[in-house]
Amino acid sequence: MEAAKVSTKSEKRKKGLTRKLILSMLLVGALPLVIGLLLAFFQGTQEIREVSGTSFEALATETARKLDLVVADELSRTALLAINTHIIQLLETRRDALSEVKKNALAPLLQQENEAWTNKDSDLLSKISEGPIVQELLRHVGGTYLDAGFPVPVITRSTTRSLYITDSAGRLVASLDDKAPYLNAGENWWKGAFHNGVGQPYIGPIQFDAQYQTYTFTLALPIMDSLRYEAIGVLRRIYDAKEFFAPSIDIIRFGKTGHVMLIDSRGVVLSCPILPTGTSLSDHTLIPLVTPMHPGWTPAPSDGHGGQATSIIGFAPLSNTSRITQSSNGLSWHMFVWQSSEELFGPIQHFFKWTAAFGLLGVGLLVTLGYLAAHRIAAPIRQLQEAARRIGHGEFQEPILLSTGDEIEELAEEVNRMNQQLASQFAGLESQVELKTQEVKYLQESTTQILDSVPDPVIMIGPQEQIEYLNQASKEALVPNNGKVAGTSLFQLFQLDPPTQEKLRREIRLVQSSVFTTPTDAKPDQPIKKLHDPLSPTSLDHSGGDRRELRLNQRTYRYRWFAIPAPPGKEPGIGLVLRDITEESLLQDQLIQGEKMASLGVLSAGIGHELNNPLVGVIGLGEAIQDETDPEHIKEYARGIVQHGKRMASVVRDFTGQVGKQFSEAKTLVNINEQLERTLTAVQAVFPSSPVEVNTRLAPLPPLPAKSFELGQAFTNVITNAFQAMKDGGTLEIATAVLDNEIHITIRDTGKGIEPTHLPKVFDPFFTTKGQGEGSGLGLTVAHRIITKLGGQIRLDSEKNQGTVCLIILPITSNKPMEHKEA
Amino acid sequence: MRMKRRHPAVAQRRILSLLAILMLSSSLPLEAATDPPPKGISPAKVADYLHAIVEADRKVYTTQIVKRMQEQGVVLAREDWESKNAIPLPAQFLHYSSKIVAESGSGIRFRLISLWPIYLRNGPATEFERKALEQLNANPDVPQREIVSTGKKQFFQAVYADQAISSSCITCHNSHPLSPKRDFKMGDVMGGVVITIPLED
Repeated sequence: MEAAKVSTKSEKRKKGLTRKLILSMLLVGALPLVIGLLLAFFQGTQEIREVSGTSFEALATETARKLDLVVADELSRTALLAINTHIIQLLETRRDALSEVKKNALAPLLQQENEAWTNKDSDLLSKISEGPIVQELLRHVGGTYLDAGFPVPVITRSTTRSLYITDSAGRLVASLDDKAPYLNAGENWWKGAFHNGVGQPYIGPIQFDAQYQTYTFTLALPIMDSLRYEAIGVLRRIYDAKEFFAPSIDIIRFGKTGHVMLIDSRGVVLSCPILPTGTSLSDHTLIPLVTPMHPGWTPAPSDGHGGQATSIIGFAPLSNTSRITQSSNGLSWHMFVWQSSEELFGPIQHFFKWTAAFGLLGVGLLVTLGYLAAHRIAAPIRQLQEAARRIGHGEFQEPILLSTGDEIEELAEEVNRMNQQLASQFAGLESQVELKTQEVKYLQESTTQILDSVPDPVIMIGPQEQIEYLNQASKEALVPNNGKVAGTSLFQLFQLDPPTQEKLRREIRLVQSSVFTTPTDAKPDQPIKKLHDPLSPTSLDHSGGDRRELRLNQRTYRYRWFAIPAPPGKEPGIGLVLRDITEESLLQDQLIQGEKMASLGVLSAGIGHELNNPLVGVIGLGEAIQDETDPEHIKEYARGIVQHGKRMASVVRDFTGQVGKQFSEAKTLVNINEQLERTLTAVQAVFPSSPVEVNTRLAPLPPLPAKSFELGQAFTNVITNAFQAMKDGGTLEIATAVLDNEIHITIRDTGKGIEPTHLPKVFDPFFTTKGQGEGSGLGLTVAHRIITKLGGQIRLDSEKNQGTVCLIILPITSNKPMEHKEA
Repeated sequence: MRMKRRHPAVAQRRILSLLAILMLSSSLPLEAATDPPPKGISPAKVADYLHAIVEADRKVYTTQIVKRMQEQGVVLAREDWESKNAIPLPAQFLHYSSKIVAESGSGIRFRLISLWPIYLRNGPATEFERKALEQLNANPDVPQREIVSTGKKQFFQAVYADQAISSSCITCHNSHPLSPKRDFKMGDVMGGVVITIPLED
């Protein structure tokens, strides 16, 4: 499964380049095309919208104006009837007659006449439908009314459904037919036109007239008296709305669907080439959009003709007519210009479709060409990739032969060159590797042999304490019966008590964290490094339990850890070097004991010298007593003997006090100055004839807890060296001081000094420049051991033939040296 | 109904014309004027008073309101003022106030008429009105008065000259497509204001 995944991935990658190339070609070629197309489409649509909208608005405005004129014309023509003097005279008469009628008699009179009219009373009928005024009406409607400049157009004649006149009481006075009602004073049109006698034109709303089976609207005009003082009657004319407006509206068509229509502010159609008159706009939400009192155009959510497509609608009010209709019944009339969106946006959609088709074709072509081009580019690259892969796997192959004539061909040549180069280099490398391998083998073998020839056990352990290597010495010393130990834990090999194991582990961890490259406490270790004193078994003692010695199989080993650099990718290992010091430490102890005895010899020689003088005195006084008879003299001599004896006794006491204490002495508070003086005295006694001048500058010192004998031994060794260096005379200067909580003891001689090359070795055991029998080479070693045991330091500085300075520094309190069992 | 524009008498002439009316009144065949008036006020005087007010109102409108409005670009006065968010022309102002007066039902009426109306409805309605306009054309300072009747109703009518007091009056009338006369000049009598007072029993 994993393999399948990998192969799919690489398959994908293989096609990636081709895909990218095709994609970039598409992006470069097709994207601008598509964007341009879309932009052109939207821009075009927008512009068509704008252009159509403003055209529609202009058409609506123009048509509205035209209809306004038609209505105004009709109004003024009809007004000719209203100013007809015959009609006015008749109506004035009727007004005057009415004013004669008593108020309470009026209602019954009207009632009576109305009944007569309803019953088609012949008198009334003929009076109303045949009188001279009817002739006037007929002349007007029939077109024979002669008034220069006002011929009645055929249209309005034929659209007039009814025409009649009432008097100031609303009674029918004259009518073209007998369908008109007799009493009209309660009608809206009558009240509107009469206007309480002031008179104003009235245009009624469109409504279905059952009598004429069609949608009609009323034009009513007041008839004013001859002075135009007040209204004396009303003329009503009823028009067939469709027929009245259609000639002005239906002819305006553009395209297949473009047309204008007249609606009122309720959305009712007065005239439309498509919608029947009297119907309402299909979408009522359109009405407020298209019936403001100013011209304009709007994109509307529907077309008002039942379609739901977004439409561009131009509109304009019939402002003059609307003034009349609004004062008459609150409605206004509006033009509405519309063309179906399909037709309006048809051309651009058509254009868009074609362009889109060509665009698609173009994209297809781009993809095909892109694929071919990409294949041409990608195939050699893939070939190269395959070659590179094989080279990468170390399979050298035949040179790649590409002749694309471009950078890829150059690349192929480069790859070929690289292939050759690699092949030749690999050949050289192989022999080199062989050589190196041999070297490594030789190194390994020699290392093993070196390690095996080392008499000390060397062990290497891994990070988990498992044993990785044992040299010959360690096998012999530690592995019983040549057992197999590789891989086992170090502590299986070392049978140790738990605290020691714990201590070793701690050290291992420290080495691992490479802190342990130098021992825990650098300060105590310094003397080891500087002074090269491997024989000083106590050099680490004062750091407390950190003694690097092990007891294994009844043998004592000193050991040392060392870090082994790790091979790449592995944890570093640790090496352990052991040194069997069982015999060595025995020998050392003996040597040190011997040295101690030797210094005891120096002391005893001094003591002997001390004793010799009084003894000579005693002997001399004794001999004198033998020959003396005078008891006074004898007494005096005896007193001398006693004195000498006492002095000897004190010398002996001192001596026994020192020697007796040397092995078992516990620490006491030692006065360093006194100890120095005592030692100086003792040493001076050994070199009685030495021409050495001694200067002491002793500062007051605090007592120091120490073994006074050991301290004395150290001082003895140093001072003895000084005397020995000044056999031909000189000055010995001994000074003490307290500095920084330390006691500084300076012992300076003006002797022959030490060779600079010898200086680093002076503390080494058995190093001596003295002649046979003069020194053991352990004096300074012992002094160094004693001083460092006290936590102090001892340094020597010297210049050839100038003298030597020995500086002993002892800490005063805090750094109390630990007590050790070791002698 | 009526249409016409122009301005008649000027204020200074008012007193003169009143004097003329008083002098004329004795020679006129008016019952009300010939009879020694027992009490009240003669219709001629009422008409004069009314005309003075109408005249003043329109003058204020023409010279103080319309002119300033237009000069300062606040709003235009134009014929189709209702649909164009404008204000009425001075003549329309008079027509409009005349309509309001009529609708008030007080019986008093006035109209602005002309021998050369843009709209026929503003022509003279009667022979008297025509003659009065002609008289005024010749003699603008002398108002024409008459008792007229319609049917049995009697009215006192007085016609006062309406003269061109603003250049916009003549510009419009000289250029309007429906205007029958196109050579008006400043100060010309363009028409008259007819004041009609019903004579009740």
